[in-house]
Amino acid sequence: MNSHGTGEKPAASVKILARDVNVHYGDKQALNDVCVDVDDNAVTAFIGPSGCGKSTFLRCLNRMNDSIESCRVEGRIELDGESIHDRSLDPVQLRARVGMVFQKPNPFPKSVYDNVAYGPRIHGLVSSNQELDELVEASLRGAALWDETRDRLREPGTGLSGGQQQRLCIARAIATSPEVLLMDEPCSSLDPIATSQIEELIHNLREKYCVVIVTHSMQQAARVSQKTAFFHLGWLVEFNDTNEIFTNPRDERTESYITGRIG
Amino acid sequence: MIEKEHIHSAFDRDLHNLQSSVMRMGGLVEASIINTSRALADNDEELARKIVDDDQLIDGLESEVNLAALELLALRQPIAQDLRFVFAVLKIATNLERIGDYSKNMAKRTTVLLKTPPPNGAVASIRRLSHSVQVLLKDSLDSFAERDAEKAREIIVRDRDIDLMYNSLFREFLTYMMEDPRSITPAMHLHFMAKNLERAGDHITSVSEQVIFQVTGEMPKDDRLVEDTTSYEAVSMGAVN
Ligand SMILES: Nc1ncnc2c1ncn2[C@@H]1O[C@H](COP(=O)(O)OP(=O)(O)OP(=O)(O)O)[C@@H](O)[C@H]1O
Ligand SMILES: [Mg+2]
Repeated sequence: MNSHGTGEKPAASVKILARDVNVHYGDKQALNDVCVDVDDNAVTAFIGPSGCGKSTFLRCLNRMNDSIESCRVEGRIELDGESIHDRSLDPVQLRARVGMVFQKPNPFPKSVYDNVAYGPRIHGLVSSNQELDELVEASLRGAALWDETRDRLREPGTGLSGGQQQRLCIARAIATSPEVLLMDEPCSSLDPIATSQIEELIHNLREKYCVVIVTHSMQQAARVSQKTAFFHLGWLVEFNDTNEIFTNPRDERTESYITGRIG
Repeated sequence: MIEKEHIHSAFDRDLHNLQSSVMRMGGLVEASIINTSRALADNDEELARKIVDDDQLIDGLESEVNLAALELLALRQPIAQDLRFVFAVLKIATNLERIGDYSKNMAKRTTVLLKTPPPNGAVASIRRLSHSVQVLLKDSLDSFAERDAEKAREIIVRDRDIDLMYNSLFREFLTYMMEDPRSITPAMHLHFMAKNLERAGDHITSVSEQVIFQVTGEMPKDDRLVEDTTSYEAVSMGAVN
């Protein structure tokens, strides 16, 4: 069921498939047998108490855990039916397809323009300056930031407000035309207005992308996502349509968590 | 059902207060039904008037419940079972207020009946129906307080008996009217009272449905088989005269 009722959503197709994913940091197990189907053109929310493994799982999806020495990932993760652990798949290429936005806005210490142009340049996505200009503008528009920055493109990205910086990071993430956008608590340092802007953006992004968002705000998960996964102590406890999770969760642990009860 | 406490204890307090207000409302409605039946039996005009006046208390409590629920929605943003609880409370308060209105309407009719005494036996029949409805209401309020979906399901089944009782009362009153045209006025009033009680039963069923939804998250399917069949008796009524 589509809670926003645009009615134009095509039948969901699975973009990311995870089966029996186990993750260890040294001998400590952070995730146990996680299985999940993430729909394309939809927003999937990961919720759960601190330390339950949401970020760990998110990082599995673009192999960001590869860079953590102690981290061992087992199990099958497929993007469009192909294993992301396949030797022929270049992790750098994977990260161009699966972009990430972090909790704290982290613009490069460069101009607004260069922040967005960075990815397309290193991936060689454009062949002329004019093309690059167009791509930067399209990305800033896509992140709902163009109107506020069109006259400030040469100013440092770090000079923007927190909410603007976060939208700049989203513009940077979508500049490489990813297929999937991973967002780890993207609004946790933003005020309600900036949060609404990012949420509105996330809602619109799903027309083009597969979006996965980690959030500690139940209201945010309820507002922006179509599917919600509840993690607890390294287990995926419940995964269902968002409206089901928030009106009638099946598992008592989910119920306790989302209603703020003593678990 | 074991109720786990909220981490934020003031939230529990708010929910508890809301439940208490609904229970108080239910208590007043129950008393109103009992008193109406007594006023009818004892020809007690004063009591009948008091029932009419006291309906304001029920209406006042309903507004209080609505406001408190609205505040809770705005300030605590309840979800899952908490949201279902608030939703159920709002609907139950509406149902109770309506039952109170039916009782008030019956009380008004008892004062009319003082001038035109009803046939022997008819009042006793109404009182039996009234008692069944009052017990059903009490049990449905208990099922709400105890969050007992099983009990609520039984009430929905028992409401069918109320419907059957109403149907047979309807025929009884029809007989009085056919036998003695002078009984038409009181019998019509008694019939409306019976109809009010039958409608009250439907609202009690609705309360029970809310309890089931609140507890289980599923709306019970509407499979009430026995309904008021008197709508189909127009032909035989026409044949009377
Ligand atoms: N780099 C690391 N080295 C060792 N252990 C780690 C590392 N990163 C995470 N962990 C552990 O793995 C578990 C899951 O952590 P993770 O960061 O995925 O949780 P989370 O659900 O994102 O929590 P939060 O909501 O606080 O961000 C935790 O017990 C954490 O201590
Ligand atoms: Mg995290």
